[in-house]
Amino acid sequence: MPTLPINLGSYLVNLCSALLLLTCFAIVAQRRLMACVDLFALQSVFLAVTATLVAYLTGIHHIYLAAVLTIAIKAVILPRILKKIVRQLNVQREVSMYVNIPTGLLICGGLVILAFFITQPIVHLGFLLTQDSLAIALAIVLIGFFIMVSRLKAVTQVIGFLVIENGLFLAATAAAYGMPLIVELGIFFDVLVAGLIVGIYTHQIQEAFGSVDTSRLKALKE
Amino acid sequence: MIWPIILLIATPFLIGVSGLVVRHRQTLDVLHCVQAGIMVVSSLLLVDEVSVSGPVSFFYFLHVDAISAWFDLVIGIVAGTGTLYAVGYVGEQYDRGHVSLKRFRQFFMLFDLYLGVMLLAVNVENLGIMWIAIEGATLSAALLIGFERSKGALEAGWKFVILSSVGIALALFGTILVYYSSEQLLGITEEALHWAKLHEVGDQLDPSVMKIAFLFILVGYGTKAGLVPMHTWLPDAHGEAPTPVSAMLSANMLTMAIYAILRFKILTDQSVGTEFTGPLLLGFGFFSVALSSIVLLLQEDFKRLLAFSSIEHIGIALIGFGLGGLGVFGGLWHLLNHALAKSAAFYGAGLVLITHEHKFIARVPGLLRENPAAGVALFVAGLVLAGMPPFGLFVSELTIAANAMAMAPAISYGFLVVLTVAFATLLFQILRMVLGVPLGTQISTVGPRCRAFSTAAIAVNLGALIFLGLHVPDGLHNLIGAILPFFHAEGEYF
Amino acid sequence: MSAIDFLLINLQMVLVLGLSPLIVGVIRRVKAHLQCRHGASVFQPYADLAKLFRKEPVISTTASWIFPATPYILFSSTLAASLLVPTIIAPMPLNFAGNIIALVYLLALGTFFLMLAGLDAGSAFGGMGSSREAIVASLTEPALILSLFAVALTAGSANISAIVYKTAILQGIVLDPPPHLMALVALFIITLAETGRVPVDNPATHLELTMIHEAMILEYSGRYLALVEWAAGMKLMIFLTLLANIFAPWGIATTLSPSALGLGLLVFVGKVVGLAVVVGVFECMFAKLRLFRVTELLGAAFILSLLALVFFYILRV
Repeated sequence: MPTLPINLGSYLVNLCSALLLLTCFAIVAQRRLMACVDLFALQSVFLAVTATLVAYLTGIHHIYLAAVLTIAIKAVILPRILKKIVRQLNVQREVSMYVNIPTGLLICGGLVILAFFITQPIVHLGFLLTQDSLAIALAIVLIGFFIMVSRLKAVTQVIGFLVIENGLFLAATAAAYGMPLIVELGIFFDVLVAGLIVGIYTHQIQEAFGSVDTSRLKALKE
Repeated sequence: MIWPIILLIATPFLIGVSGLVVRHRQTLDVLHCVQAGIMVVSSLLLVDEVSVSGPVSFFYFLHVDAISAWFDLVIGIVAGTGTLYAVGYVGEQYDRGHVSLKRFRQFFMLFDLYLGVMLLAVNVENLGIMWIAIEGATLSAALLIGFERSKGALEAGWKFVILSSVGIALALFGTILVYYSSEQLLGITEEALHWAKLHEVGDQLDPSVMKIAFLFILVGYGTKAGLVPMHTWLPDAHGEAPTPVSAMLSANMLTMAIYAILRFKILTDQSVGTEFTGPLLLGFGFFSVALSSIVLLLQEDFKRLLAFSSIEHIGIALIGFGLGGLGVFGGLWHLLNHALAKSAAFYGAGLVLITHEHKFIARVPGLLRENPAAGVALFVAGLVLAGMPPFGLFVSELTIAANAMAMAPAISYGFLVVLTVAFATLLFQILRMVLGVPLGTQISTVGPRCRAFSTAAIAVNLGALIFLGLHVPDGLHNLIGAILPFFHAEGEYF
Repeated sequence: MSAIDFLLINLQMVLVLGLSPLIVGVIRRVKAHLQCRHGASVFQPYADLAKLFRKEPVISTTASWIFPATPYILFSSTLAASLLVPTIIAPMPLNFAGNIIALVYLLALGTFFLMLAGLDAGSAFGGMGSSREAIVASLTEPALILSLFAVALTAGSANISAIVYKTAILQGIVLDPPPHLMALVALFIITLAETGRVPVDNPATHLELTMIHEAMILEYSGRYLALVEWAAGMKLMIFLTLLANIFAPWGIATTLSPSALGLGLLVFVGKVVGLAVVVGVFECMFAKLRLFRVTELLGAAFILSLLALVFFYILRV
């Protein structure tokens, strides 16, 4: 049985989810690609800590496995792949974006509010350790979505996708106490493969177009 | 009898894996012909089994009820003919030296994997694993779309990866929410995601969670189904992918996405009532039909033309499901006939692409004379897709329109208007291609092997279409009878 | 007001006045250390102040009364503000005198006069510094108020002493992490901006392209400069105290016993010096931002504090 008082436990889970949200904002405000990758890795570490806390507090052991996988895949392997791509491509900064940074941050603030409004009617239903986690998870998903649409570089779009995945995982862990083990493993596998495939694509796009600026991909339209 | 379902799902995986060791082209061809045969036969057997003696389960992993069986039928038959066609089409590319043997093997491994996970998705019991399988289909499709590595293919593939990943992530959020709600009733177990269990306790699931979950699911899987306005990847991907892949995307993947939406719709309806999901499906369906019916006219590329026609037909099916009642029958019947017709049309389009090496509608008149196999495929499939009697799509569109008239005349009028527009625009474009006098430009000839395989695939599809237009087998009749109660729909069909 | 209260106020005054040069010295020392320099002693700022007080000030002939008056106004307003912030004991005797708003505007008063003085001396650099300071100040002020309000709302009082006291007697558990965390990050960014630290301003350079605070006080000399520098040190101290005591008031005295006060003093010095080290490390890790990018950073602080506020309103009401 957990020896931590449940109050302190939920406090810590809440703190970790807030840290996850903060790293999202940091990614939105960051132009340097390498720093974005690092922030994503940091976010994944926070995610793993959250998962470990939940596993400890609820006594559901397979969440530990998920935490380990999070560290391995999202904090080590995928950031490495992404950094390798960034180095190969020789692009360090994102100079132009569809939305400038202050506006972007403001929009993300709006997304957080939206997430709270969406989840407000349902937070009281679950076995939640904390009332914020579900809303924060949805907010992270929405912000990841925003990163994907507001950035031009393929790498940052991928980071956006991975941020979405982190939000989903937070939802699954903190709000629903983890998906069944087999489902969780499958999701990890899919994320890993998705990362690889996107890596392959970035490479091929770079070779074919001479740039990873996805705004150049506009031959196909009505 | 459990082996049809096992065979149906295991065959593509096994044969796909065998591509790792088989290095001989001839052997691969034979293996895939076997695979095509097994898929068609086992899906027919499965339908027969389920319609006669009810659901089939395999441990707690696979569960084939009437709905799954119906989608097995759609995906199984089309996957079979698609495999046959791919053997011819990619083989022709290989013969012409466009792809190396390594790439040839890679293609088939991915293609088999793609078919396998789609079949898995419509049969698994666990909604989480269904998500994984659909994501697997997305990823393998992503590699298949960019297979030709041209600029266009890469752009289409990238768009597909990004949009589908976002879509599927939203769907996962919806799935998590369903689990969040169901674990209150079923406890923190794997069963809380099992569809049959969920169906039992469906009316106790919390309505507000289910509403939010369904919105996420609809937008998420709807992105994969190519619903307007999340459709932007679809024409690009269909246009740029290798033609067998375009056919499978259109006939199978969109259908699979609709399957996922339907499963969640049934659950949501149990908890919230149809007043919530119905209008949503109607709205998305209607916009899809309306937009694509007009855009059809603007197309200059025949593969994109067929892609927009897919958006239209998926929209029509969705309208049927949204209406409920007999509309559900219309939707199911529509999906089956659309899959057969659209894949046949793509098979024909692929042949034209091989001979003419371009995709301009305006520059391929007189196909019936110039390239009879392709011409017939496009002509007949075009008539079917436009909704000509006596084919199945006419029946389903009529059912949906009649049902709409009985329930809400305003919807029916709007539906008939957009349907008429779509009829005219699609038929106009198709007839421009198949009728008339050939330009007489130099065209390359299709190799005998490719000709044989693609003709066979086209013949099976067109044969099935004509057969279904004239006669409804008892098995399908029973199957639909077993599906309708899920939707609380009843009434006389046929 | 009892004699004890009077004593406490004077103690706090001495503490702030006496400790603030040390904090500046610590930051400089940390930076020197990280840059592989030997660096001056941490007590060097005391010697600097002593030297400046002995020197004769020089005043530009074009300057009006504002120029000589500003150092006194700045010094006294900052000192007054520092008395509103609890350092070693939570309910401050002067807490009836003002709340968050008083604190923010006492600080703003000093900034305002400093900007005027920068313009008043008539040099080109002074004007440039003032205009830049105006940009930074107008961006930090709302963020500062919002972030303090976010904390005030959870504590149910706009009085800083009450906020600190309530957090302290909850056994050190801040019950509401997300808004507090956001307010904390926002307040940290604001601290760097308000006290002229690296991503916003560089206190160690007189390069005309980058300087803000140094440009405004370029014309000051002698005891005027000493007062301005001392006030800047106190301002830094006030912000570090806010960060330490609002978000981590552990160890602060909540009763008047000598042992509690002694512990409070020790913990307070430890916390503020620790934060000074963090600021020093921060300054070494980041490069100064271009002036246009500063708005992005401060915008982020503003949005974070806004979110902290919104969190409270959506979730806790």
